Amino acid sequence: MISAATFHVITTELVVGSFALAGISFVLCLLLNLQILSKQSLRPAADSVAHAALLFGLLATPFAVVSGISSVPGGGLSSPILVNKMLMSMTGFGFALSALLCRWRMGDSVWNTPSSTWVQAISGGAASTAMLLTASAGGTFTRGESLLDILHLPYEHVLLFPVPLSGVYLLAGILLLVMGWKKSSSSIEH
Amino acid sequence: MRNLNARYRVRLVVVLALLLVSSTYGSAEPGGNGDGTRDMQCGGACHGDASLNGTSTANMQLSSETEIYEGIPTSLTLTVTGIDNGYNSLVGLFLLTDTTGHSDTPEDAGWEVLSDVNGGVNNYVEISLDSGQTEVSISWVVRASQVGTTSWYAAIHHGGSSIPYFGITPEALDVTVVEVPENLPRLSPDFSPPTVRTIGATTVFDVQTLETQEFIIEWKSDDGQIMTLNANSSATNSWQVEFPPALLPSTLQWRAVLDGEGPPQTTPWFTLVAEEASWEVSQLAVYVQAFALMFFTAGVVLVLQARFTRSEAYKQYDQTSEILPLDSTITPAAPVESQGPPIPADGLPAGWDEEQWKWYGHDYLAGKYGGEEV
Repeated sequence: MISAATFHVITTELVVGSFALAGISFVLCLLLNLQILSKQSLRPAADSVAHAALLFGLLATPFAVVSGISSVPGGGLSSPILVNKMLMSMTGFGFALSALLCRWRMGDSVWNTPSSTWVQAISGGAASTAMLLTASAGGTFTRGESLLDILHLPYEHVLLFPVPLSGVYLLAGILLLVMGWKKSSSSIEH
Repeated sequence: MRNLNARYRVRLVVVLALLLVSSTYGSAEPGGNGDGTRDMQCGGACHGDASLNGTSTANMQLSSETEIYEGIPTSLTLTVTGIDNGYNSLVGLFLLTDTTGHSDTPEDAGWEVLSDVNGGVNNYVEISLDSGQTEVSISWVVRASQVGTTSWYAAIHHGGSSIPYFGITPEALDVTVVEVPENLPRLSPDFSPPTVRTIGATTVFDVQTLETQEFIIEWKSDDGQIMTLNANSSATNSWQVEFPPALLPSTLQWRAVLDGEGPPQTTPWFTLVAEEASWEVSQLAVYVQAFALMFFTAGVVLVLQARFTRSEAYKQYDQTSEILPLDSTITPAAPVESQGPPIPADGLPAGWDEEQWKWYGHDYLAGKYGGEEV
């Protein structure tokens, strides 16, 4: 028998651990594929670890979000920190989702060119960064301090768009996702 | 076979997801469940299976005046001793009017909670105990809306080393409500005291009274020192009260001393909690923007990656890895029209013309089409 708060701690630790491992692996992938690191035999392992850790973190993220909302007294959006957590975690979720979709649809050809290597590494790294910032915001909310406080991030300020503008972005995002999906299909056929 | 495996994998993920989600909502709340209007059933069932609860060793004593007037606020004080504070410092305390487990809140018996210890109007409050603290005393201010006798109970629930604990006062405290004398100075039955105020802001509110000619406010902060405040009469039986602003999160208690033709009356202590200004946001805007960010980032990355990876796919079929610049010193040779092999000395084979020989003569000389290999 555990509470939503305890469950949130468990899922958060899973998410943060997985995304941290994925982030390190994506950096390794970037250095290997840009020939900055010469140990090319590590490429398959780094690629597998990066995406497997990302997938695990992605699966755990919804549980962390839902339990986080459930565990906050007075509702999940009663503080600007919590709103920023929601926005950052969903952004990280989007980056992670795209990195995995690209890897699934296009195979290891995502590492074939410098451009695709940068895109893949940045999307994976951005996902990890967003999730770590989310966890840091959580620490600031519950304990009043966090390791990333040295960055003086403006957790108390929320950049909130009007609903219509967010709706436009939402539709544009879905459209881009469909376009990217179709393009990735045609690239596979070629 | 591949689809079958995929189907099993999806089922596995769904089952795991259901297990994880169910563990969230079917569990106890050691971190508290928040103040609220709750019946006793919650005290047993909030910890999951009520039959698994242990009996709390805490001793509870509920006290109040045994006879009060209808429509006039009165205070019910609960003193709890012998609390097992070893496992969790949080205890939940109930004020109940029945022990059946349901429909036992003060509202169900025709009472109104005007003030609780945490700055709310709830019959259930959660109290955080200090380390080693085993006693606590809290009060509710309630008001009856009808004449009669009400049996009051108090209950406690808290965590334990392995199971949750629940306890209830063994005997009821009977409170009789009688009709109020006509000339008694008193608060208006319509008056509801404020329970929460914002830090840094002066608190001003009106108090409506009946049969009152003089009105004085007494208030005390956390240090317990009682101070007096003269309220301004804004109209007949209406008094404006102004409290100085709080600089920190704190609790203030106040009561009114009323005088008129009837005997003077003093109200119970009302609790006024100073909190940070609440922060509100449109949940719709947050959720729409969150999903917009998710889809937009995913879409942009997918499109970019599809573009870069696609150009790479084209390159796989373009074997020209590097195109050299055209050398102007080299003159391309003029195309040479095929003339075919020389015509044999004894002339073209039977049935052949020169055009056929030009294109297929080599094959004839190689032994095809009836020719002899040269």
